[in-house]
This record gives sequence, C-alpha cells and structure tokens, in this order.
Amino acid sequence: MAIRSSIFALGCGAGVLAYAALASADVNIPFSRSTLPNGMTVILHEDHAIPMVVVNVSYNVGSRFEKAGRTGFAHLFEHLMFMGTRRAPTKAFDAWMEASGGSNNAWTSQDRTDYYDVGANTSLDLLLWLEADRLRDLGPLMTHDKLNAQRDVVRNERRQTSENTPYGKVELRLPELLYPASHPYHHPVVGSHEDLEAATVDDTKAFFATYYDPANASLVVAGDFEPNAVKDKINRYFGAIPSRGKPIDPGAPNFLDTKTTLTGVVREAMEDNVELPKIIMAWQTPRHFAPGDAELDLISVALAGGKASRLYKALVYDQKLAQSVDASQDSGTLGSRFEVDVMARPGVSLDALEAAIDKELAAVRNAPLSGAELERAKNMVETSFVMRAESLRERAALLNMYEAEVGDPGYAEKDLTRYRVATTTSIQKVAEAYLVPNARVILRVVPKKESGK
Amino acid sequence: MKGASMRWSRRITNFLIRATAATVFVSACGGPGAEPPPKAAVPPADASTEAGAPAAIDPLGSRPEVPMPAPYTPPVPVSYTRSNGMKVWLLERHALPIVSMQIVVAAGSGLDFAGKEGLAYATANMLDEGAGKRGALDIARDIDQLGAALTTGAFVDYSFVELTSLKKNLEPAALILGDVVTKPTFSLVEWKRVHDLWENELRARQSNPHAVASVVAQRLVFGPSHSYGHPTSGTKKSAANVGLSDVMRFYKEMWRPEAATCVVVGDITQSELDSLLDKALPAWTSHPNEKSGGKRDKRDVQNVAPPNASDRRRVVVVDRPDAPQSVIGVARRSVSASDANAPLLARVNGALGGSFTSRLNQDLRESRGYSYGARSRFLFMALQGMFAAEAAVQVEHTGDALKAMLGDIEDFAHSGLTNEEESKTRMLARAELVEAYETVEATARRLGRIAGVGLPPEADALASKLMYNATKQDLSALANQYIDVTSGIVVIVGPRAKIEPQLKAIGIASIDSVGPEGE
Repeated sequence: MAIRSSIFALGCGAGVLAYAALASADVNIPFSRSTLPNGMTVILHEDHAIPMVVVNVSYNVGSRFEKAGRTGFAHLFEHLMFMGTRRAPTKAFDAWMEASGGSNNAWTSQDRTDYYDVGANTSLDLLLWLEADRLRDLGPLMTHDKLNAQRDVVRNERRQTSENTPYGKVELRLPELLYPASHPYHHPVVGSHEDLEAATVDDTKAFFATYYDPANASLVVAGDFEPNAVKDKINRYFGAIPSRGKPIDPGAPNFLDTKTTLTGVVREAMEDNVELPKIIMAWQTPRHFAPGDAELDLISVALAGGKASRLYKALVYDQKLAQSVDASQDSGTLGSRFEVDVMARPGVSLDALEAAIDKELAAVRNAPLSGAELERAKNMVETSFVMRAESLRERAALLNMYEAEVGDPGYAEKDLTRYRVATTTSIQKVAEAYLVPNARVILRVVPKKESGK
Repeated sequence: MKGASMRWSRRITNFLIRATAATVFVSACGGPGAEPPPKAAVPPADASTEAGAPAAIDPLGSRPEVPMPAPYTPPVPVSYTRSNGMKVWLLERHALPIVSMQIVVAAGSGLDFAGKEGLAYATANMLDEGAGKRGALDIARDIDQLGAALTTGAFVDYSFVELTSLKKNLEPAALILGDVVTKPTFSLVEWKRVHDLWENELRARQSNPHAVASVVAQRLVFGPSHSYGHPTSGTKKSAANVGLSDVMRFYKEMWRPEAATCVVVGDITQSELDSLLDKALPAWTSHPNEKSGGKRDKRDVQNVAPPNASDRRRVVVVDRPDAPQSVIGVARRSVSASDANAPLLARVNGALGGSFTSRLNQDLRESRGYSYGARSRFLFMALQGMFAAEAAVQVEHTGDALKAMLGDIEDFAHSGLTNEEESKTRMLARAELVEAYETVEATARRLGRIAGVGLPPEADALASKLMYNATKQDLSALANQYIDVTSGIVVIVGPRAKIEPQLKAIGIASIDSVGPEGE
C-alpha cells in the first residue's frame, strides 16, 4: 500500500486505525480524466466540502529506474525539484506556496515519485503554475550548488531515518538480501552515501530529460474548484510543455513476481544500537493487484492486526516471548515483499522465538483461517479504506496511485472487491504458495556488544 | 511503500511527542479583514518556453496572484452536562456514516502519585485489558469484528478512551467503550503482562535518540519534582514501583463522570447520542463524598513565570557513542494553554520553526546542509507550557549547528517578525485549522485535547479570531518575551567525545552529562 504522509498537525498522536465493513460501501471517488496533446494525464476530482485544493503530480520513475552506481538518485532528484527555475528561483517555490497558506511534500518509492501541494481554494492557479514551471524548465537549469545543497540534506535524511533510528538499518539491508543484484528492487530507495556523492549535474539533466516528461506524468487536481476554469489553466500551463516521448519502463524482464529467486533461507545478523533484538522475515510475493496480493494483505491482518491476531496472541499474549509483532504485504509494481517483524522480550532465545513464529506461519499454510478471522480481517481492511478516503489529500493520492498502477483512477471499487471475494480457501492457497519456509530472508537485529546492558 | 523516502518530515520527529502529544494546542487563524499575501512578483522578462531559449511570450505568464481566501472559523460543538456530571460536546457531521467519540478525564501524568510516575498511562493501558464480561482478547476481537477502533491512553493533562466506528456498528461498539470506562476488570494476570511490556518499552526508549532528547528536555525544563517533569510513560525506576493497587486507586479517584467530557463528532444527533449514552454508561455515577478526581495540583503554578533572566543556559549531553548524528534540543518554559497569548505564540512559531520556510529549517537544512530538518514548537498544557526547538545534525557539525540554532532563535527574539512572516503565519495558521477539522476522527481528537487541557468548547473559534487580529507588533513583542532562550536548556544526544571539543570551540565550557532519562 502506498505510504502515508506525515501530517504537520502538531500533537495528534499516532492512532492505529481499523474500521468496520460497509456491506454496500460506495468507495468510488468521482473523477474525470483527460489527456493533454503532449501525453500528460489530467484527473479532476471536484469536492466543495471544505475550502481547500490538492494538487498531486506523479511521475513514473522511482529507484528501480536508477543506473548502476547511482543508487538513491531518483529520491535525490525529488529533492532537486524544489531548487528553482528562472521564474521561481531557489527557495521561491516553498516561499510563495507557504506565503499563500499552502504546503507541500513529496515521496519516492521503488516505482514512483509523487509530489503534492495543499492550499486554500484561492491558491490553485499558483500551485498549478509552480508545478508546470518546474516540469517545463527545471532540469537544464541545474547547478552544482543546487545539487550539493540537497545532497547534504539527503545524506542527513539517510543518517536520521535509517542510521540513527533503532532498527532503521534494516531497510538499507533487507532489499539487498531479498533480491539478486540484477533485480531493480535490490537496492534501498535512499541509496548509498558513495553513490549520492558520485551524482553529477549532468546526471540530473539527463534524468530530468528522460523521466520528467509530461507523457510520463499524471496530474490530479482535487477539491474546491470550478472545473472549466481549471481546465483552461491546465491547458495553458501544461499543454504547451513539449514532450520528448514517454520513457521506456525497463521492468524486470528476467524475473517473475510469482516465482521467487530465493532458493533457500538467506540468514544474516546485524548489530544495532538497540536494547531488544528483532527477527525480520521477508518473502518475494506477487505484485500489486496481481492474484494473491489482496490475500496476502488479509493474511498480514490475521497475523498481526490487533491483540486478537495470531502472532500477537501466540507470541506476546500467551507465550510471552515477544514485545511486539508486525506483518505487512508491501506491494510494488514489479513484485511485493511480505514481511513479518517480531521484537523479542529481554532474555528470550531467538531460536525459540523463530520456532514460535514458524509454528504460526505453518498453521496459516496448513489450515484455513476461521470464518470469523477472515471476516475480521476484511472488516478492518475495508473500513480503513473508507476512512482513508475521508481526506482530500488521500483521495488525490489514491487517484494517481490507481492511474499509475492499473491505468484506471476509478479502480477503488474493483480494488475492494479483491478483498471482498477472498475466501479462506484462496487465502490458504496463497499462504502455501508464497509464505514458504525454505525461500525467505531471516534477518536478526541484535544489540551491539559494547552498548548491550 | 516501506522503502519510500519523503522529501521532509513534516512532523517533528519524535521530539516531545510521547510526553505531550495530545496536549499541544495549535491555534490557527481565520476571520475577516485579512491582508493578502505578498504581491506576485513579475517574472523575469526573459522567462523561456524552453529553458535557456528566450521566447517572446511566456506561455505560463506571470505568477498568479492569490486572492485572500474566505475566513475560516472552526465549528463549535454543542455542550451540555448529563445528570451524572459528565459534560458532553457534540459536533454533528452527517457527510459520512462515521462517528468518533472520546471520553476524556482531566487526569493525566501531571497527577501521577509521587514516586509512581507513569501511573495515569498504566491505568489507561489497563482499561481495555478486560472489562465487563469480556477478557482482554474478547474486547480486541469484538471491536475488530465490528470494524471499529478502540484506543486508550494518557497525556500530561488528561487520559482518554477513543472509539471510532461506522454508524451502523456504533451501538455495540459503544457498549464495549462503556464497559472499558466504567467496568475495567484490573486482573492481576493481565497486569503482570502489561507491566512487563511497559518496562521493556521504557528500556527500548533509551536507544531512541529523539525520545531521549524529549525526556531529558522535559525533566530539565520543569525539574524532577514538577508535575510535568517526568515523561507520561514514566521512568524505569518509577515503573518498577507501580503496582496494580496503585492503578486501581488512581482509577477510582480520577476516572469519574464529573471529571469527564464525552466528545462526539460525526453522523449522530443529540437525541440519538443521549439514548446511546444511557445504554453505554448506565452505572457511571458520581460519588460526591469520595475524593474528587481531576483536580489539578497547584503546587507548581508559582513556577510558571519564565526562568530568571540571570540564570545561565544549561547544556547537557547524553552520550550515544558512534551515532552519526547529534539530536539537539533547545527548550524553555512557556505559558499555559489558557493564556491569552498562547494562540498568538503558535503563530509566532510558524515563522521561527513551524513551517518548511521557517528560519530554523531554511538555515540548518537548506542553507547549511547540516540537517534533514529543524523545527520548533510550543506545547501548551493546563498549568504551563514549553517552547522547544530541535534538529538532528551530522555529528561533525554539532557545534556549528548549535551556534546557528541559538543565533537564529536569539535574532528572532530580538528583531521579531518581518512583514512577510507576519502575513505568512496568518495564512499558514488558517490552513492548518482547515485541515485539522477536515476528518471526523481528527476533529474529535482536537476537541478532546481542548477539553483535556481545560479549555471551553469554543476555544479554537475564539483563538482563531485572536490570532487573526494580532499585528506584527503584537507578535514581535511576544517573540521578544517568550522565544529568548538565554536561560533555557540545551540537550544534545550524541557521541560526547566528538561533541565536547566542538562545544568548547563555540564557547560552551560547562557541559553536564546525564543518562537517557535525565538522571
């Protein structure tokens, strides 16, 4: 599932949300879609509930498109998209947007780079103008100073979110263990310090010319606007941006998402500045929206969603081996990663903990979930979906996610149907096929010796 | 996706979140008479169609001006008191069939018994570990089955139980909420497990540098004996002292209807709600003869005044050998949530460290490249507040970064806001408020916080007007009075051996060492 943005609502505690099923929930997000002559996709979602607009621009480029020796480049480039043009010099993009009460953020995954702006309903022209300006002109105006400034920021981002965060280094190492070197998902999105240092201005210009093309972009405008006026503005601002052609998606021609490349158990242990050890297990699983993907989402909920889930009940509640459990199906365009994370209690043998996890996984493979378990998981998935769509920013992100992944912004109902039709039998089959014990990564994080108490 | 990287973290990492998450009172503006943001600059005449290739006519034209958006005044919930003394705040919203409710009691970690810090938190944790006829797992299973979400927790000034549900499942879910609030089992078997998990969580906290910075800053700013001087989740030492009998006593004294507010937002009318509460909370009655809960301890109020200006700034380091970054926190005391200046200070902060273009973030991140982001914030609590700035910086630049942060803060305190900042902060505060009231659950949490810190239901509406009307002179005077940190505290979590010489080089000679809980 796509990343959630962090919201600058100071003080709102993070809540774990799960909501009930709507047997007849209407989850569709109304929209209209068109394509500009230069190939740019335009999706409008009108909603006058609050005096706000959201602009979301998604580019079909992520870390899997990176060249050898340039890991982390797609994300670094995302930062460079804010570094200015002639019309909006360095710092002006943010300064003008915030002066109008707007805000923005962006994220990069293996598959995509997504930018969004949130503003008052009166600021839409400005938001569109700023997005069009950088798509039109930013690349050729790149300089060493701009590149160096964001290179420092990104290297500090890597230090802060991965290196200096407990268990943060897992995300740097796990992709390398899970995928072979020739697979586009082999390296972490944030990249290595070495490759970030190696990036040049010429790299940025070439990357922009290839991937930041209107034919490779999808624009969503959502919220409180007048559609005809907005269409005129979009045509004027974006319509005349020349396309150099839609870039070729190299995909992963030598790999199948339904056939893991792992031929055994890949084991590794890493030391970290942590108090409690953790066991992480990971499998290669079917890509987003492929058969099995929704079942794996439901399995993750049955395993670790709430206190009544299987892993929580067995490991935390009954056997008292674990401090916390987590499971997720992290769905991607080329393939997905199913992951189980279990933090050990102090003094617990990791071998014993691993055996206890394996017992629960075997149970999911060897027998169907109960009807009540499946109903719970479905209810939790379905209503979290309904709740997410209450936010205008999330609706804009969903429209672009569906456009990018399945070429249909209106896929919400079909997406949910995948979960609704899953059965205990289909789930067991998927568990048997993919959550196999002998083709997975088992990574242990253990406290550093010198800091271990 | 899991591996995705964000441009910037809009949230202040973890700093202070554990301690004060729901007590933060972010005010925002709205109301008539706003001035427009800075006029659109005329783009350069040679703006190009193809970068580098001049063209006669720029298809983008000049930068669009932004008309002033209509004023936004937050909605005010209907409020009334039920016969058992519990206040009800209801904000009807019928767009989606969703209801979110919070039972808030005015007793948070500020009322933890001495030596039992973390008690309010532990009590809230125990409420859903068995209640009424259900055991701990039954509660979780039944709530999940309904697709609802039930959460319990505590903050500095209040504790809460939160329920969000689809309307069609609200009644059975609310009956469980009612049991959790009024009939917790407090089983010794469950307590043993909850207590073990709690102690492990506190142990794990020591390896999170942001959490450590937060815990230490809070302790140093308020002092260990102050109601607010300890983390909401307690310390390793205090947690070891808390027993189930303490939890039961805290519950009995504090979780009482006359100390409670039931905040409800969503697709429900007042008559539907009253009937629901009759069923969900039938036996929750006040006991006027017993000690009344929720009374705030006034011992500390004498200390509300800002620290004596002659006090020197205290600098402490929590050693974290081999860390690639230093987490720097700069903090001081501030005004309470009920202070008329609080909403204005939230706007003042927008210019210093509350937005991407704020001075701290622009300087430490965009100009110097020391950090992924620098922020500041005010935390407004019932008795008094706190101002804190934070940045995680590359270890090699710890000294320079601290010097820059202190310089930015002092400069802002002395010179106040620019015209652009005066306008920008008004616009940003308005936008934050619009978003804060967008969803049912976010709205319920915000109103729960307002109730929890003892403010009236119309607090945001009033604050928006106050803040809206504040002038540059008003805001600059407040910056001068409440941003100065010459007598505040500095906490640095990082490798002491590498940091100390850098601090000496910027003239900081006296450096204290403390442990990860500030001891």
